Amino acid sequence: MNVVFAALLASENLNDGVKASNPILPETHEIVWSVVAFVLVFAVLAWKAWPAISKSLSDREAKIRADLDAAEGARVEAESSLETYKQQLADARGDAGRIIDEARQAADDVRRELIARAEADSADLRTRAQEDIRQATERAMVDLQARLADLSIELAQRIVERNLDRDTQIALIESYINEVASTQK
Amino acid sequence: MLLAAFQFPHIDELFRWEGLFFGDTAYEINKTSLLVLISSVMILLIFVGGSRRMRLIPTKLQSILEMTFEFIDHGITRDVVGKDAGRFTPFLGSLFLFILFLNFWEIVPFIQFPPTARFAIPLYLAIQTYLIYWYLGFRHNGYRYLTGHLFPAGVPKALYILVTPIELVQIVIVRPFSLAVRLLANMMAGHILLTALALLTTYALENAPIIAIGPFLLNVGVTGFEVLVGFLQAYIFTLLTAVYIADSIHPDH
Repeated sequence: MNVVFAALLASENLNDGVKASNPILPETHEIVWSVVAFVLVFAVLAWKAWPAISKSLSDREAKIRADLDAAEGARVEAESSLETYKQQLADARGDAGRIIDEARQAADDVRRELIARAEADSADLRTRAQEDIRQATERAMVDLQARLADLSIELAQRIVERNLDRDTQIALIESYINEVASTQK
Repeated sequence: MLLAAFQFPHIDELFRWEGLFFGDTAYEINKTSLLVLISSVMILLIFVGGSRRMRLIPTKLQSILEMTFEFIDHGITRDVVGKDAGRFTPFLGSLFLFILFLNFWEIVPFIQFPPTARFAIPLYLAIQTYLIYWYLGFRHNGYRYLTGHLFPAGVPKALYILVTPIELVQIVIVRPFSLAVRLLANMMAGHILLTALALLTTYALENAPIIAIGPFLLNVGVTGFEVLVGFLQAYIFTLLTAVYIADSIHPDH
């Protein structure tokens, strides 16, 4: 560095005797063009560039803010919808459980009713069948008694060749049958 | 001994340029003025052209423009001047870009000269800042702006003998002077250093190539450093301008 400064100092005397002018002093024409250039830059940038850039940034900021607000609104709405759907799902599950219970209860009722009805029908059928059997038995017994009486009469007539009146024969036969029945018991 | 024979060019050759157009007039255009005008055109092309069709999903250029705007608007204007001071962003943004583009000419190959190393430009910008903060100070606070600085509240009256002249010198001379000289000195020093290293490299290559690597590597390193300096000086100038404007609007803070 010392060499540089030494050279700088030396150069004062090595400039072919030209008296060194002061490089610090400002030149008028340089001031003039500086003023022109700066005023031009300031005026045109203030007129065209800065407002456009500022507006662009403001627009983007507004857009981002609006998008964020919209996203926040959508998020709140989605959460609200989710809560509604959850509530509806819970309600639906409750309804479904209730419906299933009711259906199960109804099915049980129907089953019990059907069983009861079937049992009643069965008992009724059995009673009626027993009654029919009894009546048929009675009719058969009556027919058998009548037939037996006829056969007995005929047989007796043939055997004893004695003709009894009918009422006597019947009384005789019934007496015989009752006797037979009592001996069978 | 070898380096003792090295002749550094006259300082004028580093900073003074012959007129290219309108020679010897008040509107002469030399290399400095030409770079200033080219910088203006570049700024306008990039920022006006890039902001013509702003999209919701930004392109790379649009992202750069928006980052620059945010850097100025939030990083400087609203942080320093105030939350509702967005109206100063166009001025502070233009100031920052103007200085930044001018500073970066220092490292552009075949140009390698920052116009801000000429006193005319920092001086003009500092005077402009000076006028603006005085105007804003009086507009917002009337004469209290001046009396508030010269006779600060809470200071014993006896001390006004010391404080008042110091404050007067500070707001009238020191502020604009330091603003201009800080930028000028940094860019001028950088330019001299880079030139010296480049010339030393050339000289060493011609006379003792083995030692040329030293100044060459140093030159590369300093060039990278000057990128930082160029940005930092633009930022500092703009930031201090914002501080002075904030002081003018809210002198009590």
